[in-house]
Amino acid sequence: MTTESTEVGGVVKSDTPPAAPSTDTTRQVVASTIANEGAMGERILDVRNFSVDYGWGEGAVRAVDSVDVHLDRSTVLGIAGESGSGKSTLVYAITRLLRAPGVITSGEARFNLGSNEDGEHVIDLVTASEAELRSLRWSSISIVLQSALSALNPVVRVGAQFEQVLKTHRHDMSKVERRARAAELLGMVDLNEDRLDRFPHELSGGQRQRIMIALALALDPQLVIMDEPTTALDVVTQREIISELFELRSRFGFAMIFITHDLSLLTELADEIVVMYAGALVERATARELYEAPRHPYTLGLLDSFPPMHGERTELSGIPGSPPDLAHLPTGCSFHPRCPFALARCANETPPLIEIEGSGRSVACWLHVGDDGAAVPVELNRVSTSIASPSERVTEVSS
Amino acid sequence: MRLIVRRLALYALTAWVAITVNFLLPHFMPGNPIQTMIGKLTGQVTAQEINAIRLSFGGGLNQSLISQYFTYIGQLAHGNLGVSITLSAPVSSIVSTAIPWTIGLIGISTIISFFVGTVCGALLGWTRGSRLDSFIPTATFFQAIPYFFLATVMLLVFASNLHWFPVLGAYSQNLQPGWHWAFVASLLRYAELPVISIVLGSVAGWMLGMRNMMITMVAEDFVLMAIAMGLPKRKVIMAAARNAVLPSIANLSLAIGLVVSGALLVELVFNYPGVGDLLLNAVQSQDYPLIQGIFLVITLTVLGANLLADLVYLWLDPRTRTEVAQ
Amino acid sequence: MRKLRVPRSPKVILGLIILGFFGLLMIFGPYLAPYSPDNTSFAPLLTPSAHHWFGTTSLGQDIFSQTLVGARATMVVALVAGLAATMLSMIVGISAGYIGGITDDGLSLTSNVFLALPGLPLLIVIDSYLPVNSRSNSLVIGLIIALTGWAWGARVLRAQTMSLRNRDFVESARIIGEKRIRIMLSEVAPNLLPILASSFLFTILYSIGAYVTLAYIGLTSTSVWNWGTMLFWAQANNAPLSGEWYWFVPPGICIALVGTSLALLNFGIDEFINPRLRAGGLSGRQRRRLGLPRRQRLGLTSVNRTASRTPRLSPTTSNSVSP
Repeated sequence: MTTESTEVGGVVKSDTPPAAPSTDTTRQVVASTIANEGAMGERILDVRNFSVDYGWGEGAVRAVDSVDVHLDRSTVLGIAGESGSGKSTLVYAITRLLRAPGVITSGEARFNLGSNEDGEHVIDLVTASEAELRSLRWSSISIVLQSALSALNPVVRVGAQFEQVLKTHRHDMSKVERRARAAELLGMVDLNEDRLDRFPHELSGGQRQRIMIALALALDPQLVIMDEPTTALDVVTQREIISELFELRSRFGFAMIFITHDLSLLTELADEIVVMYAGALVERATARELYEAPRHPYTLGLLDSFPPMHGERTELSGIPGSPPDLAHLPTGCSFHPRCPFALARCANETPPLIEIEGSGRSVACWLHVGDDGAAVPVELNRVSTSIASPSERVTEVSS
Repeated sequence: MRLIVRRLALYALTAWVAITVNFLLPHFMPGNPIQTMIGKLTGQVTAQEINAIRLSFGGGLNQSLISQYFTYIGQLAHGNLGVSITLSAPVSSIVSTAIPWTIGLIGISTIISFFVGTVCGALLGWTRGSRLDSFIPTATFFQAIPYFFLATVMLLVFASNLHWFPVLGAYSQNLQPGWHWAFVASLLRYAELPVISIVLGSVAGWMLGMRNMMITMVAEDFVLMAIAMGLPKRKVIMAAARNAVLPSIANLSLAIGLVVSGALLVELVFNYPGVGDLLLNAVQSQDYPLIQGIFLVITLTVLGANLLADLVYLWLDPRTRTEVAQ
Repeated sequence: MRKLRVPRSPKVILGLIILGFFGLLMIFGPYLAPYSPDNTSFAPLLTPSAHHWFGTTSLGQDIFSQTLVGARATMVVALVAGLAATMLSMIVGISAGYIGGITDDGLSLTSNVFLALPGLPLLIVIDSYLPVNSRSNSLVIGLIIALTGWAWGARVLRAQTMSLRNRDFVESARIIGEKRIRIMLSEVAPNLLPILASSFLFTILYSIGAYVTLAYIGLTSTSVWNWGTMLFWAQANNAPLSGEWYWFVPPGICIALVGTSLALLNFGIDEFINPRLRAGGLSGRQRRRLGLPRRQRLGLTSVNRTASRTPRLSPTTSNSVSP
């Protein structure tokens, strides 16, 4: 569990005016950190003020709104949210794989390629050229999609798809070595070498997804993106693949972004989790804290939508209503029409993402803004048993 | 193999339908065309030849239709397609000298047209939205022109006026046919303009079909993955094109019939000595045995080409192969 | 039922204009012709002039008049053939797709046989046996052409019907106990409209080609003027090699234009059926104005910071918290 990754996770909507007096200083601190922070250190990806629109001009719809996310080497960032929350859009746009009519309208996404004697090699993916992106793709960042059947070329044998990747990026490898490497990769995901001679449609869903994972690891990338990799599979296979995945991660130490709508799955495997709603971040916390003490009503709803992987059975309540239409978002907090705890101001004022003082976690919800004076509902005021610092408790008590 | 067996059965059935239509038409068309034709011929040709013609339609009129049908099939089985009225020679030998010209001309044109159209279509589909799109209405226009009209214009402009190409026929009349260089060179030279006409007329169809399929494929996940894998652009395009070309090949069977239909007329325009030219002369002189013989031969050739296209499809799409294996 | 909204792209508009023009020509062409197409009283082989816009034939007939008069027969036969073939493909395709089982097997086999038969040679054989008086009959010729041109449409409609068969609204009609024929006509057929339209345009295109070709090789009555007959006479008098381009170019261009208009309309329908074919929705000029690249490349998501709108968290919304 790495808690360092959340250290700068305060208010980072740098182009917005101060939302509340209590956070004003935090914002300035963050701003100065950005200015001085040429070096990324352990940080592998740093995304700031990132916005994505679908469409242009009058018809444009904001799909991702001024989002900040970051992750450190060898950590797992979970992104949770319902479909349409912008979680996939965010990640595809960061990797510049988002299709038209998606357009990045603000922000930067700095990727740390590592350091050598010349210093750190950092690249902003948003301004990177096609050639720069191509050299970085798969060798540094790879991706696994939800449906492996559509992600694998249907008329090319599995082995040839490995061959293609290795041949493009590993010029020094001979044909025999490439074949051996492909076989080794299949072994890592518990598949027999003979699968290399099969076509994708000849394999089961689980086998195909394992092959996608093996392909994603083919070049020892620093970052692997998992876009709902197990959603299309049955529960047993899902379980197997997840545990394999984490075994591989501990072996090779790549960082991972894991996108899913299944928050209870994330709480088991992520270090840090961000929750997205209607294109914006609504909560950020370590997995443990989020699971034990959610602070945003939406997070609470998401946790109640899925059975926990372990532990006692609880009643699933889910979230009333349906995800909002991005073209016609409610005023104020986008979640307020579905929120059981909505206050009067929620309908008019958009809550900023603010740090809960001293805790290193942040939430975008008026319930937690002290000067409002409203009592935080007991469901959102649970105390995390693990690392809840005294200062956090103080904040909560005072609010 | 199951797919191939199914296709073979279909083609066998189609061949049988063609043969039966061929038999029934002269017997059921108003005005009794066989009798009229034989009436016209009496006195011009020998009784023996009239007998041969009668036999190729199924025999004497005093026999029942069923027995005539079997006589007809029996004659076909022996390769007897009857005797041409105007050329006074067996239809089978006339057609067999003409068919290689047609297969050569249409085969080469179709292959060129398919390749050029597929490559251009793939690029147009990939660069959709670029300036190349303005090329599409022009391609549509060419697609809509009847081949024979296009051929006529080409003949007038490039052969008759500009003298870039020889005018009519399949080879220079000064040369003795044979496998020597001068003759082969002349053969190729005379084939240029007809091939160009057929290619120009048919390439747009392949191109636009491929473009549509390419656009559909580019929207697929595996193309995005090819980019995510950092593959060079050439390989990404190939990955999409390799899948997009499959429907084109699946449609090849249908298209072969259309291309052959169009190309037959190009032979007429260029006086090319293939079955098209032969068929149209036969039509004008109402040489029914020849018309029918040519129809059968063309049908069988097209069916053979269809089978070839099916085999290529089977070879290119692994999914159909598995279906067969199961 | 989906609302039929054909995309208003320049291609579709151009197609409609051209087709509309020739539609008018079909109706009014014979009345607009300055002379009778058979009138041989002019000097032969006149080049185009103010008197004879398209010149005259070797018999001294006015080519412009022939072109105008010929529009009707050409278009009428194509229309008859297109309608008949579409009807046939609809009946066969929908029944095969909806009823399934042995009916489907039989009908599919029939349409596959017709697909495999080369259409034009078959047409030529049938037509060469036709008595001369039938050859001048547009209806007969149209129906024969339809017979060789329905199979493709039937195949496409069958596939689409099969995908519709298990949709909720068809399922519920079946549960209510609607008659099969009623379901096919009122539930299935309306949803096939775009595909029907596309197959109709396609068969008209095919029919024009087939009719003109038959006429060109002299298999239709020469007493009926159509664009194919004009080409037949031009070819018979060796016009192409004698440089008399004005004789065969006008009918050829007319055929090509009608064909182009049909193909352009088909683009619109294709884009309606397959949304992936639709363009991004912006013209090149609009994209330039918005500072976007002309074409968005796959794997290189556009970046356009000027398009950025104010973030949701605007000063006005957070005014109340500011001191």
